[in-house]
Amino acid sequence: MTLKKQLYSPEEMTAAISMIAAAIRRDFDTDGSVPYALVGLYNQGVPLAERICDEIERATGRRPEHGRLDISMYRDDVGLRSGLPLIRETVIPFNIDGHKIILVDDVLSSGRTIRAALDAITDYGRPNMIRLAVLVDRGDPEYPIRADYVGFKLDLDPAHKVAVQFDEDGDEAGIFEVNWQQKPLNR
Amino acid sequence: MSSFIFRNARVIDPVRKIDSRGDVGVIDGRIAEASEVRGGEVIDLGGKVLSPGFIDLHVHLRQPGNNMAETIASGTAAAAAGGFTSVVAMPNTNPPADTAGAIEFLRQTAAKKAVVRVLPCGCMTKGYAGEEMAGIGSLKAAGVVALSDDGRCIQDHALMRHVVEYAKSFNLPILDHCEDKCLAAGGVMHEGKWSVLLGMNGISGASEELMIARNIILARQIGWKIHMQHVSVKESVELLRNARAKGIPVTGEATPHHLTLTDECIKKYDTNYKMNPPLRSEEDRLALIAGVADGTITAIATDHAPHTMTAKMVEFDYAPFGIIGLETALPVSYGELVAKGVISLPKLVELFTAGPADILGFDDYSLAPGNPADLTVFDPEAKYTVDKEQFKSNSRNTPFDGWEVQCKTMLTMVGGKIVYNEL
Amino acid sequence: MEWTRKDLLSLYDLSAEEITFLLDTAEEFKKVSERNVKKVPALRGKTVVNLFVEPSTRTRVSFELAEQRLSADIVNMQASSSSLLKGETLLDTVRNIESLQVDLIVMRHSAPGAQAFIAKHLKCGVVNAGDGAHSHPTQALLDIFTMREKKGALKDLKVTIVGDILHSRVARSNMWGLLKLGAKVTLAGPSTLVPREFEAAGVRVCHNLKDAVQDADVVNLLRIQHERQSAGFFPSTGEYAKFFGLNRQNLRWMKPDVLVMHPGPINRDVELTSEVADGPNSVILEQVTNGLAVRMAVLFLVAGCVKK
Repeated sequence: MTLKKQLYSPEEMTAAISMIAAAIRRDFDTDGSVPYALVGLYNQGVPLAERICDEIERATGRRPEHGRLDISMYRDDVGLRSGLPLIRETVIPFNIDGHKIILVDDVLSSGRTIRAALDAITDYGRPNMIRLAVLVDRGDPEYPIRADYVGFKLDLDPAHKVAVQFDEDGDEAGIFEVNWQQKPLNR
Repeated sequence: MSSFIFRNARVIDPVRKIDSRGDVGVIDGRIAEASEVRGGEVIDLGGKVLSPGFIDLHVHLRQPGNNMAETIASGTAAAAAGGFTSVVAMPNTNPPADTAGAIEFLRQTAAKKAVVRVLPCGCMTKGYAGEEMAGIGSLKAAGVVALSDDGRCIQDHALMRHVVEYAKSFNLPILDHCEDKCLAAGGVMHEGKWSVLLGMNGISGASEELMIARNIILARQIGWKIHMQHVSVKESVELLRNARAKGIPVTGEATPHHLTLTDECIKKYDTNYKMNPPLRSEEDRLALIAGVADGTITAIATDHAPHTMTAKMVEFDYAPFGIIGLETALPVSYGELVAKGVISLPKLVELFTAGPADILGFDDYSLAPGNPADLTVFDPEAKYTVDKEQFKSNSRNTPFDGWEVQCKTMLTMVGGKIVYNEL
Repeated sequence: MEWTRKDLLSLYDLSAEEITFLLDTAEEFKKVSERNVKKVPALRGKTVVNLFVEPSTRTRVSFELAEQRLSADIVNMQASSSSLLKGETLLDTVRNIESLQVDLIVMRHSAPGAQAFIAKHLKCGVVNAGDGAHSHPTQALLDIFTMREKKGALKDLKVTIVGDILHSRVARSNMWGLLKLGAKVTLAGPSTLVPREFEAAGVRVCHNLKDAVQDADVVNLLRIQHERQSAGFFPSTGEYAKFFGLNRQNLRWMKPDVLVMHPGPINRDVELTSEVADGPNSVILEQVTNGLAVRMAVLFLVAGCVKK
């Protein structure tokens, strides 16, 4: 049986997203003159980036440019998985060259996803700056990668997972700690 | 020589139309009344079947030429394990058995190594090349019981006519592999739905049908018997049925694999389903069974064709044709024909005994006292799993490995000598 | 769903869902080739051997480029089946290749089922690049990908394949793939090259070009091999062109938006005239482009399921 425990409510999550949006606005959107863009990483970085854009748009009246990035082709664990999920559509509707990019993901854990995302995004062009925004920072990455914008810092059992769920996922929204190792042994 | 009494046997003797409980005696290598046996070994069969020894009209012993695949010793051991007391050795060895010398080699080697009777068969043409008639008279003098170019078919109809005419004068039956080369060219499986869907070259049923028709015409014209080996297609059965009804001296055999498997098996690209003639359609298979049931087909023969694992572990196109069958013929045929109610058990025994004996022109192949004690004992109730690793054959190229079967050879006796005993 | 196969042997083995998954994955790989940087590190550190036991230029180049764009290391091996027959067996050859810690073998072979045969004995992945007249799954996938791209849904799409169907692995793979996706398939050509037995698969067999193509949404023309002429399947390529070739005149029978496809290499003025090959209905070169995307997708997915 998988054990799942809510760590933060949807309200606490929304507050954290507002806080991240405000921080990004402070750094990048002082007068609207600096071009910057948010790029959400599949899966949950995509809706998270949308929400941050919503917040920024509400505060400034301008929706920042944003894209979606699938990093499947850049992963370093080919052959270590039992099956491969479908690659989702990467959409970068702006010229990356010279842009300031903020990568958005739900959880910073090992740092491997971000490593892959850095490779992927730079194959689309040459940004002049890349920053990272995450809703949850597990605090102990395997790679020297740190987030610039963080909603929550969490120190949990490394064997446990953190799941971020939005309303549209069809399940209860919030941030959860998941003990997935307690699955029945025969699975 | 020792004596035996088989007690409590279900004696099935098709020639004498016997199927009853009884005892059978053996004195000095010959069948005797049980009451006449004095002090012999008593074997209680507990109701198991005792019948005349099985004859396989169609066996490739591979010696000389491919001793890795089979030898006279290993092939006849496999025959004994399958209940066969006589096997007709096909002449397409290397070198082929197309001379008296080659037959002499076979007879001498068999005398030393064989555990069942090896009935030599000579080539119809030199090198079974289908071009020049072999020395048929010398072959007869050396002891062949029949003639065959098996593996190939004489395409030249005039030559075939002369061979049949000549063979008639030496009283030798013809066992013919019926295949028109033009229609079969390049084929590796039955031409039909599955060859088309799988993109494989097909061997059309017409290639067999055409040569069977040719042989029927020659048999009628010459008045001599031609036996059609491994009949596999519906139309061939029909031709044979009509010809026999008209009294033309033609006969046919069916193999256990053509009675049980179809071309759909090729989907797996397992080369143990590759043989020639190929596995045909379900319609053909059913027609073959019907031919066995109504007496059109009078013998079951295995076309036991051993090949080494090396030879068969290749692309389907490149694998040699042929599968082994001596050690699975009885249970596989029983399962398809008797267990499913198509024919009776005595009829099955006939297909393995009196049927092939008649094709070879043997008189009175029965359990009558005085006949050679070639006997097969089997248990039609015994169930087991085919395990190719237990085979006596040198080869393992069978599609029947792992089959759950019923009907097991328990004892084989050749000339009063027990050559296989699982009792 | 998730992709879980380490081999791609034939479309007959795949479900409609799996075929759609492959096509969807290919969409993303098509975009990679449209970028400035046409390469992804997906197969970095993986080794792919292209074992062509039957000669090929186009398919091999397409596979090679796909492998390079996935950052795989590549070894090309040409072997004639005759030399394999004389010396080492095919199984020994591929087991030796596998012992070099190769991850994938892309193989073309003239014997149907050769890839299925080796895949049974190997832990590394096997991709079928054509086996005799049996199967050529990546060609069919790129054809179907092109149809989907141009026509949308494949359900009820009327696809006519014209040519030497009997000897064509492309026709068979297209047939199975299209049938699984709900398309209506017609096979057309001279009766010697399009046996009725194909009807058992659920397709229409047609020996008249007009009947075969007049309501088709897609017409896929297959290359006519001259050696079939000498084998007596039809009298001459001239007569073939007359009765089964596409030209400006018979294009008029067809739907104005019909897609004309050909797996290549084309015999101009045999299967089709230059007006048709280079005309507005032709997507022959787009097929080639899509072939790269489809092969990248196949290699990516299959390599992802090869266990270390």
